[in-house]
Amino acid sequence: MDREVFERRIAALLTVIAGLFGILALRLWQVQIVQGDYFLRLSEENRLRVTSIAAPRGLIVDRRGRPLVVDRPAFTVSLMPVEFRRPHDEVPIVARLLGLDPAEVEQRLAAGRERPFAPVRLRRDVPKEVIAAIEESRMDLPGVVIEVEPIRSYPYKELAAHLLGYLGEINDRELRQFRSLGYEPGELVGKEGVERTYDRYLRGRNGEIQAEVDALGRPLRTLDRIPAVPGDTVVLGLDLDVQQAAEAALGDRLGAVVAMDPRTGAIVAFASHPAFDPNLFSAGIAAASWNRLLHDPRQRLLDRVLQSGYPTGSVFKIVTASAALDLGIVNPDSRFYCPGFYNLGGRIFHDHEAHGNLNFLDAIAQSCNVVFWTVSRPVGPVHLAEYARSYGLGQPTGIDLPDESAGVVPDPEWKQGTYHQPWYAGDTLNTAVGQGYVLATPLQVARMIAAVANGGALPTPHAVTEVRAPDGTVRFRVEPSPGARVQVTAQTMAVLRAGLAAVVTRGTAASIQIQGLAVAGKTGTAESTHGKPYAWFAGYAPADAPTLAVVAVVENAGYGAEFAAPIVQRVLEAAFGLPVAESHP
Amino acid sequence: MNGVSPPRPRSQRLLRNLDPLLIAATGALIVFGLVMVYSTTRTGPHPLALFRTQFLHLMAGVLVGVAILAIDYRSLASGARILYALNLVLLASVLVLGRSSLGAQRWIPLGPFGQFQPSEFAKLAIVITLAKHLSDRPGPYRSVWDLAPFLAHIALPMFLIFRQPDLGTALVYGAVFLGVLYAGGARRRDLAGLAACAVLISPLAWHMLREYQRRRLLVFLDPSLDPLGSGYGIIQSKIAVGSGMLWGKGLLVGTQNVLQFVPEHHTDFIFSVVGEELGFVGSIVLLALFLLWLTRGIRIALLARDRFGALVAVGLVSMVAFHVFVNVGMTVGLMPITGIPLPFVSYGGSALMTMLWATALLLNIGMRHQKILF
Repeated sequence: MDREVFERRIAALLTVIAGLFGILALRLWQVQIVQGDYFLRLSEENRLRVTSIAAPRGLIVDRRGRPLVVDRPAFTVSLMPVEFRRPHDEVPIVARLLGLDPAEVEQRLAAGRERPFAPVRLRRDVPKEVIAAIEESRMDLPGVVIEVEPIRSYPYKELAAHLLGYLGEINDRELRQFRSLGYEPGELVGKEGVERTYDRYLRGRNGEIQAEVDALGRPLRTLDRIPAVPGDTVVLGLDLDVQQAAEAALGDRLGAVVAMDPRTGAIVAFASHPAFDPNLFSAGIAAASWNRLLHDPRQRLLDRVLQSGYPTGSVFKIVTASAALDLGIVNPDSRFYCPGFYNLGGRIFHDHEAHGNLNFLDAIAQSCNVVFWTVSRPVGPVHLAEYARSYGLGQPTGIDLPDESAGVVPDPEWKQGTYHQPWYAGDTLNTAVGQGYVLATPLQVARMIAAVANGGALPTPHAVTEVRAPDGTVRFRVEPSPGARVQVTAQTMAVLRAGLAAVVTRGTAASIQIQGLAVAGKTGTAESTHGKPYAWFAGYAPADAPTLAVVAVVENAGYGAEFAAPIVQRVLEAAFGLPVAESHP
Repeated sequence: MNGVSPPRPRSQRLLRNLDPLLIAATGALIVFGLVMVYSTTRTGPHPLALFRTQFLHLMAGVLVGVAILAIDYRSLASGARILYALNLVLLASVLVLGRSSLGAQRWIPLGPFGQFQPSEFAKLAIVITLAKHLSDRPGPYRSVWDLAPFLAHIALPMFLIFRQPDLGTALVYGAVFLGVLYAGGARRRDLAGLAACAVLISPLAWHMLREYQRRRLLVFLDPSLDPLGSGYGIIQSKIAVGSGMLWGKGLLVGTQNVLQFVPEHHTDFIFSVVGEELGFVGSIVLLALFLLWLTRGIRIALLARDRFGALVAVGLVSMVAFHVFVNVGMTVGLMPITGIPLPFVSYGGSALMTMLWATALLLNIGMRHQKILF
């Protein structure tokens, strides 16, 4: 290229650059010198206040649309750190009005200094009288903001508290984890239960108001308003009537009741007693109340349905029977004699009674330990554990609720790994009848009995069946894919179901026969290391085409037939709309 | 060269050819930048953390920059093909490995060394490889079709950057392209035609932008559209700059910055803090330093011994000029918010190093120019 052209063009380039810089200089002159006063005033009086409009959280309703968790309007009092001119005068006034410790207010205010234009929440759900008092002191309290913010309300208080969960202020870890989803400091999020698992649908999206405010913090005019988007409605499989029946039947005893539709895995009832009142958390729980809950000897916060691993007692015979039948060790007509005890190389294992002559089907119905001890030897611990896992024991069920426990399915390898001890023949006997090291949650047992009810299909339990937009349109249905099928033959399953039906027609649970409803199930009475045994019943109905599986466990109560079976009976009666039997003595 | 071997050692002779004014301008810009980074990041629990990081990046950048001086820039020309390929690989890997921030993937994590932003270094790669390409095909360019190879040259990396999406950096490529081709002898009407085409296909590009970028562009046209979100930045930045008036509020006493009215105030919006704390005078001094840097760059373009060197210098000058104009323009509401840092001043290791190496390249070209002045 021509050198001259190049030099000319470079000169042009320099001219363009000089021109662009000239434009910038002119613009700076205009903004800083011509309009400088104006912008300086704006910056000194920078009172563009951005407040967020809390989105109403979505409802949680039962399967028939009855609201179990709602929102009610309430007042929240916040502070604008930057508008607080004389903290020493103002903080004590605010603290006194709100009934807070001035030191705590100072502390929150100090924490808020990093984002001085974001309101720092002091107290939620402030009573109307206090709001009126604050309004009267307005002139002395320019940085105080009163917002209407919905408060979570659980009208049935302790009902299904563990399943519903509760709210709490988002913590640092959650904030880091969910920041990208738009979560902000100070926000209330679901901490447990459905509130936690479905938080992202329930929370909606907060709106914002940008307003110009005067020196006293009073809004002069609204510059912009982004409306809040309410959260989605979460529909549970839970049936309020069945839930209430379950909780009433359990009464004030420690234990759990869970009912599930075996065909879909939808949870119909979910009771863990003692429970807590989730309303306590809605406005931010006071430290004293929290400590009381945390250290309650009856462990109110513990979800006994899915976090407590219990020895299952004879309910485990479903596993042992499956293994013995499936491996061809017994058939339904195999004859046994029960003298009331079992002799393991000189060590005597006592049964609760001497059943005499009986076949295997009778053994299931009568829950004869001697027969199950006898068959457990040829089955062996490894097969027992294999069948137990096939029924979903020893692993989380995959329910849509947090912090599920996996339970324990013992086998020789597990014992070696955990206790560094060899497996003894006595361990096999204990396992066969759900004692010893076996631990399962009521939810796992419910899933196991549901699999029998289904003829082998292991459902995945789920609390939520549907998420709906606020306008009622269905966003999505929760239909978790079922787990693997239980690995037993159809023949084995048929015998098992006949045995479980016999438990109610002529066996250990004959006391809970319901007029017009064929029930099948299994009792369990699990020895406890402290106090009376755990009472179990796991059953389903109608026996020929089951639509509901129910499990009840009562801690340190006594026989399963006596203490757990009647609970299941009353849940079934409520679910199938039958007249409720006389309450158990 | 006239073939007469000078009496002094070669390296000493080269060092005497270093442009002292360019070095002085760069040094002043760096000091300016460090002070502003300190001013904008000193609040919070670790007042010196970001300043220290920036300082370490500066040291690393200077070390590598000195190394760049030692290598004859012409050897870069022979490595242009590899550089081009490497650049594409890096940009593509951002899309795969990238860490996102503000809805865009721009960073590649480097484990304990933090992360780096390939699109910054890609700016240098584009300048070098494009200049080499133009010196291989010296023209004359008789029609717009003669420019097609160069268009293809930048299209691929530009597309990858756009995918991140990083609108600002993609536009930097456009500016470098126009500058280098204009200086390289392309016809004015061809370049004007290409620019017109770019405007015509921009609706297509619109679809590749993320929601927040579209909003930013719309808001630039009318800040009151979204005074809380994207418009907020523009309004608050203007308030900050304007409130500085003639002399500024003084270093470290700006309020818009401390109160976090201005978004990204230590990176892309650092100039609004300059405006607020140092006023019109400080802003003009900073612009003058940039202008000095740019004119020294242009002088080197004129002195360069070969077409490659001259075009590299023009590319670097176009790049820096575009950065300064768009960045400062953005803080005073002249340009849309596109996420382009202020060279040497904005916080950010990749950008700072890129600018240091750009300076090193200019010095390199300058000290190996034809006429050796004794």
